[in-house]
Amino acid sequence: MACERYLNSIHESIDGTIGSIRRAELEMHLDQCEDCRALYEDLKRIHAAAADLPRLEAPARAWLQIAGRLRQEGRIHEETKAPAIGRRQYVGWLAAAAALILAVAAAVMLIKPASDRAPQSQTAQSTPAATAPAATDQKAIESATTAVDTAQNQFEKAIADLEKVAKANQQVLDPATSTTIDKNLGILDQAIAENRAAVKTDPTSVAARETLFEALRQKVTLLQDTISLINEMRKGNNAAAAQLVNKS
Amino acid sequence: MSGQRGVTMATSKETELDLVERCRRGELGAFETLYRQHSGRLFSLAVRMLGNPADAEDLLQEIFLSAHRKLESFRGESALGTWLYRLATNQILDHVRSRAARTGQMTDGLDDATLLADASGHRLADRAIARVDLERALAELPEGCRAAFVLHDVEGLEHKEVSEVLGIAEGTSKSQVHKARLRLRGLLRRSV
Repeated sequence: MACERYLNSIHESIDGTIGSIRRAELEMHLDQCEDCRALYEDLKRIHAAAADLPRLEAPARAWLQIAGRLRQEGRIHEETKAPAIGRRQYVGWLAAAAALILAVAAAVMLIKPASDRAPQSQTAQSTPAATAPAATDQKAIESATTAVDTAQNQFEKAIADLEKVAKANQQVLDPATSTTIDKNLGILDQAIAENRAAVKTDPTSVAARETLFEALRQKVTLLQDTISLINEMRKGNNAAAAQLVNKS
Repeated sequence: MSGQRGVTMATSKETELDLVERCRRGELGAFETLYRQHSGRLFSLAVRMLGNPADAEDLLQEIFLSAHRKLESFRGESALGTWLYRLATNQILDHVRSRAARTGQMTDGLDDATLLADASGHRLADRAIARVDLERALAELPEGCRAAFVLHDVEGLEHKEVSEVLGIAEGTSKSQVHKARLRLRGLLRRSV
């Protein structure tokens, strides 16, 4: 094992803060101690690899959401000067996307109470309360169904609006990307249909409900990313567009 | 934060103040420019400090919304990038502390036996350390030593600066970075 008394010297040498006398002492030791030399070289490589970690790019949707929140809070004003090519449409889409994000957020908020209630309902079934009258069960089923329907309606409205914007502008995308997006949307549609059937069979199943909402959320995200991609293509921002395509 | 890597300002101070003024007037385009200039650096910092890209994305939004609100107080005494970096670091750390308070894991959480094992044994494979392996290992570090390591080894801050940012003693910063390096060695050996 590495020698404990040289550990600090190894770190300080990597940091470049070691004094000349201790450096000489360390170098002499490293010549003789294989374990310490291995440790020193490994830590030096880790230090160098950390310093070389590349900058990450935030997902394109992050900016759309920030812009949406700023609009919602009334903290920005529309620019009145002549827009660059596609700028007018871009701003319009931003507004649409922002509004839709709010709609989706509202849908998620609607889900939460249902999810929060669900475990209590499950616990109740395993306790003496399980003997509660059938009317209570019926009420729970009706309540769960209503919550699911309301949340689904919010999602579906958001999806319909996003699809409208995406379809109207999809010609900006190259055919291969467009086909891939359509294929993925088809897969998600199938998942949504299957999960919807599962929820219908058992409206109080938390797992079925969460899986359905996750599928709906994924569709919203895919459509938002598609609109972001169209925006970036319009702006000629190939790097951001490539990032979105790679993410997909 | 003299030790920061990559704090090169693409714009002159005059242009920067002009950009800030346009943001204050509510020009979305100006704020988007500011966002494009700085979001990558701040997102990278958030991902690595939090060890979770989804949390980092949410926090990035909060950072820029907060920056938009606080631009009124920006006087140009420091570069805009530095001002944003400080704002972001404070918000990230608040988030880390709040999460740690919930989970009780803000301490470095590394026992001596683990570190001893990390300092011993066979060396890393000769091939280059893959970025993805390093990012994954970073995410596995305990909160306290991950923050110190990211600020020091990834972001390039000096220990004195790390100690000021984290509100800890300089010696503690050193100790946490050293522990993080040893733990990373252990984790990277496992990933080979």
